[in-house]
Amino acid sequence: MVWSDIAKIILVLLVIVIIGNLWFHFVDGLLEKIKGVLFPPKNSVWHTLPEETKQETEETKQ
Amino acid sequence: MGLFGKLFKGPEIDMEKSNANAAKMRALFDHVVPEGAKYRLIFGYTEDVSRFNFGFVHGSKTKIGNLIVGWDEASKTIVVVPTVPDLSGCGDATFYRQGEILKAYRNKYPTDAFVIYPDKKGYIAINAYDWLDDESLYVYVSQEEELKAFTDFFQSQFATK
Repeated sequence: MVWSDIAKIILVLLVIVIIGNLWFHFVDGLLEKIKGVLFPPKNSVWHTLPEETKQETEETKQ
Repeated sequence: MGLFGKLFKGPEIDMEKSNANAAKMRALFDHVVPEGAKYRLIFGYTEDVSRFNFGFVHGSKTKIGNLIVGWDEASKTIVVVPTVPDLSGCGDATFYRQGEILKAYRNKYPTDAFVIYPDKKGYIAINAYDWLDDESLYVYVSQEEELKAFTDFFQSQFATK
């Protein structure tokens, strides 16, 4: 009987952890979306690695 | 080397990969920073940690931002360029000139990050290590000497306290 009680407690704790994590990710995701609407990110430019460098580093690896 | 020697040797750095990534860092940096060749480079990163605590359940979520950090001793300037672990691209550069910033110091706890406050509104905390193994999160580059040089520069010439 003792083992079944321990298993039940572990199961309950596991459920609490899973629900807690889901709740955190739900709230965190919601906050991120609200932040995104209220403070839209500035349009930052993204520069890609120059083609010559890509080729050079590939050649060095070979 | 014996079996135990190999076991306790720890992970070895792939210098070929490290050198290739150092070249990519240089190419990206020079691409977005005028007179980029004046600057010495290290890889650094920022951490954005959000914590949660619901009694039994508590933990944290960490977002890592990879950075190419350049510094020029002559002009006492640090330049930060955001990038990604595979170095396929980078964002625009941000300049921190020693004479124009509010304050800068080396943190002690919880990490020994390099902290720069450009003004009262915000700050950047740059973490840097001589090598980080996890390629999915960090740029794979060995930078022992460069990190030492950057630390010396930051503490002797850039820090305000």
